[in-house]
Amino acid sequence: MLKMNHLSKVYRTHLIETHALRDFSIHVREGEFVAVTGPSGSGKTTFLNIAGLLEAFTGGEYFLDGVDVRGMNDAARSRLRNEKIGFIFQGFNLIPDLNLFDNVDVPLRYRGFNAAERRRRIEQALARVGLSARMKHYPSELSGGQQQRVAIARALAGSPKILLADEPTGNLDTQMARGVMQLLEELHGEGATIIMVTHDPELAARAQRNVHVIDGQVVDIEAEPRMRGPGIAVPQAVQA
Amino acid sequence: MFGYYLSLGLRSLRRNPVLTALMVFGIALGIAASMTSLTVFRLMGSDPIPWKSDRLHVVQLDNWDVNQAYDEEKGRLPDQLSYLDATALIAAGRADRQVAMYKVVLPVQPANDAGGPEVKPYLMLGRATYSDFFPMFEPPFRYGGPWSREQDDAKARVTVLTQTTNEKLFGGADSTGKTVRFDGVDYTVVGVLDRWQPRIKYFDLTVGALTEPEEAFIPFTTAIDLRAQSSGNNSCFKTPAPGWDGFLASDCIWIQFWVQLGTPAREAEYKNFLDAYVMEQKKLGRFERPLATLLPDVNEWIALQEVVSRDVEIQVGLAFAFLAVCLVNTVGLLLAKFMRKRGEIGLRRALGASRGQLFMQHLIEAGVVGISGGIVGLALTGLGLIGVRALYSEFKAITELDWTMVGVTLLLSVLSATLAGLFPTWHACRVQPASQLKTQ
Amino acid sequence: MELRPILSALMRSRVALVLLGLQIALTLAIVCNSLFIISERAALMARPSGMNEADTVILASIGFGADFDMKRAMADDLAMLRALPGVVEAAPINSVPMSNGGWSSGLSLTREQKTSSAYSAMYFSDDHGLDALGARLIAGRLFRPDELGERSRKTEGWPPVIIITRALGDKLWPGQDAIGKTVWLDTDSAPSTVIGIVDRLQAPWVHNDEVVEFATLLPEVINEGAFTRYVVRSAPGQRDAVLKAAEAKLAALNSSRIVREGKTVEKIRADAYSGDRAMMIILGVVIVSLLIITALGIVGMASFWVTQRTRQIGTRRALGATRGAILRYFLVENFVITSIGLLLGAGLAYGFNVWLIQNYQTAAMPWYYVPTGCLSLWLLGQLAVLGPARRASRVPPAMATRSI
Repeated sequence: MLKMNHLSKVYRTHLIETHALRDFSIHVREGEFVAVTGPSGSGKTTFLNIAGLLEAFTGGEYFLDGVDVRGMNDAARSRLRNEKIGFIFQGFNLIPDLNLFDNVDVPLRYRGFNAAERRRRIEQALARVGLSARMKHYPSELSGGQQQRVAIARALAGSPKILLADEPTGNLDTQMARGVMQLLEELHGEGATIIMVTHDPELAARAQRNVHVIDGQVVDIEAEPRMRGPGIAVPQAVQA
Repeated sequence: MFGYYLSLGLRSLRRNPVLTALMVFGIALGIAASMTSLTVFRLMGSDPIPWKSDRLHVVQLDNWDVNQAYDEEKGRLPDQLSYLDATALIAAGRADRQVAMYKVVLPVQPANDAGGPEVKPYLMLGRATYSDFFPMFEPPFRYGGPWSREQDDAKARVTVLTQTTNEKLFGGADSTGKTVRFDGVDYTVVGVLDRWQPRIKYFDLTVGALTEPEEAFIPFTTAIDLRAQSSGNNSCFKTPAPGWDGFLASDCIWIQFWVQLGTPAREAEYKNFLDAYVMEQKKLGRFERPLATLLPDVNEWIALQEVVSRDVEIQVGLAFAFLAVCLVNTVGLLLAKFMRKRGEIGLRRALGASRGQLFMQHLIEAGVVGISGGIVGLALTGLGLIGVRALYSEFKAITELDWTMVGVTLLLSVLSATLAGLFPTWHACRVQPASQLKTQ
Repeated sequence: MELRPILSALMRSRVALVLLGLQIALTLAIVCNSLFIISERAALMARPSGMNEADTVILASIGFGADFDMKRAMADDLAMLRALPGVVEAAPINSVPMSNGGWSSGLSLTREQKTSSAYSAMYFSDDHGLDALGARLIAGRLFRPDELGERSRKTEGWPPVIIITRALGDKLWPGQDAIGKTVWLDTDSAPSTVIGIVDRLQAPWVHNDEVVEFATLLPEVINEGAFTRYVVRSAPGQRDAVLKAAEAKLAALNSSRIVREGKTVEKIRADAYSGDRAMMIILGVVIVSLLIITALGIVGMASFWVTQRTRQIGTRRALGATRGAILRYFLVENFVITSIGLLLGAGLAYGFNVWLIQNYQTAAMPWYYVPTGCLSLWLLGQLAVLGPARRASRVPPAMATRSI
C-alpha cells in the first residue's frame, strides 16, 4: 500500500542544512494499523507530511498504492491526496464557519462528485461516527472529542485507501481519547489501513505494529505484524 | 497611561507601514474632498455683512404682466423695480435709509497729465446709486467720503472711485477734488474707497453673484440725466413707448432697490406702506396682478436667488458620500489590523488589563490614524482649493481656508477615525483571553 | 462550484461582508450617477451653436462722448473690416450665441392672445449677418438690402420679414412649413412674416432649455447709442491673424471709442461651458479616487483574510484542493461579496438618481448604466483580489500539520 525506500528529506536555508529524514524506509501493507513513534523533533511529522504528499522529498522512492509519486506536479499530488488519503489532524482543523455537513463535504467537492453522491457519502460518514443528529451544527458547538470524530468522518467520506492520523488524541481528555481510539480500532477492524503518528507509547501499543523513529531514521520495526483484523479487505467504513 | 497608549499605538502603526499608509491616505482623501466642497459651499452662501444683514432689505413689487407671472417655475417676484416705482419710493422716503441703483458701463478717458505712462481709454464698470449706498453697505473709505443727498438732488457730476481705479488713474494718491472724465463728461472725485471685496456681490445678483466688482460710483440721478443705459438685466413684458422718456415711463424693470430698516416694527411699517403704494397704483391702472410685496433681508435674498449654485450643492453631497466610503474602508482596514492582534490582546487581558483599558488603547491608536489623516487631508484640501480656483475662475474670492475651517478639518478627521475605530476596537476587545493563548 | 458553502460561511462572519458590501454598494451608486451627470454635461457641451466656430471672432466697440456718431463709425468699420485680407464676411450684431447676454422676446401666433406662444433670442444684424455667422439657411431666402432697417428707442413696430430657426418653426407651426407664416412680435403692432429658416442657431443662454434653440434674426441694425458688436468670419487658418489686425485697425480708425478685446467664438464657447467642464472634471476625479480606494480596500481586506485563514487553506490543500482550486475559491468568494454589494448598490444608484431628478432636474439614468457599472466593479474586484488569492494558493499543504 505505502512503500518508502531510502527516503531522505533535507531542508536547506542559506546557512543551515537540516536532515529531517535520512535513509527512511517503511512498508505498510493494506489493512495494517501502524503506529509511528518517537520523541518530538525525531521527524515523525516530516514523515507524515511526505507520506500525505503534503511535502516533497529530497531523495529515495515513495510508492503510494503502487504509484510512484516522484516527479509529480502539485496538481497530480493534490488529486492523489484527495482520492487515496484521509487525514486526521491533531488540531481537528475543522472550518469554523461551516456546519458539520459542509465540513465533511469539503474533500468531496474537490473530488467532483455530484450533489446526490456527496450527500449520500456525507450522511453515511457522519452516521458511522455517530454524529448524524448534529449535521447542521457548527464545530464551536461540539466538544473536542466530537470535533475529532467529525474530522474522521471527513477523512472517511471519500473512501480513501489509507488513513493518516497525526496525534489524533493529542488535544483530547482521557475519556474522549478513549472514544476516538475505539473508533480507529473499529475502522481497522473493518479493514482500514491506518498510519498513526504518536509520541504516547500507550497509544502506540493499541496499534498492530510500531515503527520507532529517532533523528530521522527508522530505529526499530517489529518484525511481524500483530494481525488483529480480518486481513486484506476493502475497508467497509464507506461503501465505494 | 495616555502616553503609554500613544507610544503603543505609534509602534503598532509603524509595524505595518503599508496598511497604515492605506488607512491614513484613505481618510485624508475623504476629508480633503469634503472640506474643499464644504469651504466653497460655506463661503458662497455665507452672510456677507453679518452685523446688519437683518436690517438691509430688498424691495420686491409685482408690477408684472397680468397674464403671466414673472417667474412661472418658482413663483418668485420680480427682482428689480421700474423707474416709476423706484423714484416714487425714493421720494416717499419712508425707510431709515434707501437706495435705488443700477450697473453702467463707462468709457474712461484718462487725462494723462500727471506724467508717468500713458493710460489708454478703457471700459469701466460703474454703479449709479444714491448717497445712502455708502452708509448702508459700508465700503471703507481711504480718502474723502460719499457725496451728499443734496448732490443727489442736484444731479451733481461727482464720483467715488475704488482703490483699483485710483491706482490706475492717480497712482494711489489722494485724488479728492481732482477731475476724471467718463464718457465725455467731467466728474469731481469726492471720495476714494479702500480695498473692498465682498465675497459675493449680494446687492446686485441679477447677473450672477461672482461677477466683476464695480470700479466707480456716480449718482443715480446724474446717470439718468445723462441717459446712461443699464448694462445689467432689463426685462419688459410689454414693448415700451419709444424714446428714453417712453422707457422711463414703462413697466420695464432694471433697477435694484434696497432699504435699511432698524427694527422689526419699522419693517412692518414699511411693508404696510408698500402695500398702500401698490393699491394706489392699481387705481391708476398699473399693477394688474394680485397684491404681492416682499422685503427679504440679506440672507433671505441670497437663499431666494439661489446664490449657491446647484452644482456646488451636488458636489457637497458627493464629497460627503465619498467620505462615507473612505470611512467604511478605514473601518474594514482597522478591523483587519486589530483582529490580527488578537493574540496580543488576549495576552494583555491575561496579564491584567481590563476591557476598558484595552478599549482606550485601541481607540487612541485609531485616533492617531485620524490625526495623521487629518493633517495629510489638510494639505490635500489646500491642493483641492487650488484646483477649484483653477476650474472656476470666478471663485477667486471664496477659496481661502480660514482658521475655522482648519480646526473643523482636524476635528472632522479625528472624529471620523474614532468613529471608524469604535467597531473594530469593540470587536477586538470581545476576545476571550483563554481562547487566544492556546497554541492553535 | 462551491457557491453554497461559500455563501453560508460568509453569512456566519458577516462583518467583513457588510463592510466590503457597503463600500461596493456606495461606490456603484456614486460612480453610476456621476458618470451619468458627466455624460449629460458632455452632451450639453457638444451641441452645435449653428454658427461657424472655428473661423469666427467677435469684437465690440464702445464709443464715448456726446457727439459720437454711431452710424458713421459703423459704416467705416464695416467697410474696413470687409476689406481686410483674410476676412470672408463681417456684420454688425447685438449679441451672439453662447455669450450669455442678449435680447429675448416673445412671439404670438394670434393678435388676441395674452401670453406668448414662444420665447426667442433676437439677433439684430444686416443682410450680411447670417453669412458672417456662418449659419446654414435651409429654406426660404436671405434678407435683401432694401429690407434693412434700424432699431433705436424711437423705432415703432417690428420688421415685416424675419428669419427663424427650424426649432422655433417646429414649435410655432408643428409639422408645417414655416415659410410664409406670420407671427406677432408685439401684439400691438403689425405681424412679421417668416421668409427664411436656418438649420440651427443657439440663443445666448445655453443653459436655458426653453429658449436655447429658438432664435429670430431681424434685418435691423442697432446703431443708436455707442455700443455695437461685430461678427467677423475669416478664411480657414487666418483667424488669429485677422483678430489681431481687426483689433488694431478698429482702434486706429476711430479714437473716440474703445475696442473691447476680441474673442474667438471658441473662447466664448469655453467660457459659456466652463462650469460644466469643471463639474465634469471634479466628478471624474471623484470616480477615479473612489475606484482606487475601493480596490485598495478589497486588497487590504482580502490580504487580511488570507492571513487569518492560512490554517484553513492548508487543510483544504491537504484534503486535496489544487492551487487552482484555492485561487478559484477566493475569486468566487470575492465575486459573491461583490454581487451582494452590487445588489444593494443598484438600489442605491436608482434611488440616488430619483433624488437627483426631483431636486436637480437631471434626467433619468438610462438602463445600461447600472449593469455596466456592475460589470466594471466585478472586474475591478476580481483584479484586486487576484494578488491575495494567488498568495493564498501558494500556502503549502504542510500548514495543516503545523502545530502553531
